[in-house]
Amino acid sequence: MTGAGPGCLPLGNESDISSMAGHLLKVATKHLPSRYVASRIFIPSVAYHKERIGNREVVGFGLNGEPSYIDRTDFPMPAIRFKENSQEIITLREKEKDDWRKLTMDEKKALYRASFCQTFAEMKAPTGEWKSVLAGTLVAMSLTIWIYVWMKKFVYQPMPESFSPERKAAQFQRMIDLRINPIEGLTSNYDYENNRWKD
Amino acid sequence: MFRIAIQRGFSCVKNIQSVIIPYYAKIQPAAVTSVRSMSKHSTETDEEFDARYEAYFNRTDIDGWDVRKAMNDLQGMDLVPEPKIMIAALRACRRVNDYALAVRFLEAVKDKCGTRMKEIYPFLLQEVRPTLDELGICTPEEMGYDKPELHLENVYDIH
Repeated sequence: MTGAGPGCLPLGNESDISSMAGHLLKVATKHLPSRYVASRIFIPSVAYHKERIGNREVVGFGLNGEPSYIDRTDFPMPAIRFKENSQEIITLREKEKDDWRKLTMDEKKALYRASFCQTFAEMKAPTGEWKSVLAGTLVAMSLTIWIYVWMKKFVYQPMPESFSPERKAAQFQRMIDLRINPIEGLTSNYDYENNRWKD
Repeated sequence: MFRIAIQRGFSCVKNIQSVIIPYYAKIQPAAVTSVRSMSKHSTETDEEFDARYEAYFNRTDIDGWDVRKAMNDLQGMDLVPEPKIMIAALRACRRVNDYALAVRFLEAVKDKCGTRMKEIYPFLLQEVRPTLDELGICTPEEMGYDKPELHLENVYDIH
């Protein structure tokens, strides 16, 4: 034991640190009047996670250092095993220490599923979500068109008479008579000698 | 007496610091044999890289934690691990007595092949096959994990 001052405790493995920190906080708040101390004392984040993962074994750093499980193709080894250590799994682990050729296929699958939730194939399997997305988009588009039809029928006023086909033909003939865009545009394609369109 | 008590207090604080801070990063892969340069560009050759990771996995005292760290790091790099790195990693899995980790590693390497899976993955399996047979590791295909087996409801679809 290297520290003998107040508040120093013998140091053990990692779980001791969180309990030690919790203990320090409890010691520090002991002298405060009880009405100032929250009923739930704040504990460091490691201990918070350790409470929530139950009996699961922490096996690595994982994604960001927190003992949580997530299936990701770019971080294939999460920080904790998926299943809690039940009795069957513990017996399987003993068998795992022996030759792996002696494991049956069911045991191998059970070992995999004990450590991991989804296989890569299951993670990357297509969800078929594109069908519902496409269906929703097309429904929205048809709804829009129906709304436009309703607007045209009930909301908009009738078009002016100058939009009728006879009036538009007369306007077009006026454009020809006025020699609109004679060099490269409209009437450059009109043959004025023979009064018809050029071929 | 007062001085001794303070000194003991300080040594206690130092011990806490050394244990709280990098428990996770306790062992780094062996030093690179290239010249240290100021830029982030690594002057390490491919062979040096392969040798470094192979030596890392071949450590006899390796921990499950370190195996996973190295595998996650390899997954993040823009490369497919060489067969000799894979063999060393599978033997490391055997040393830490974790069968599921070996299968997961094979799946992960298969995923790294990307669009050229049909060319690269059979070659890798062929190179690694003696080790797989020796250690008794089934490939994901042999376990039936190349197709999805179980379905998991997407949490965003649960109403």
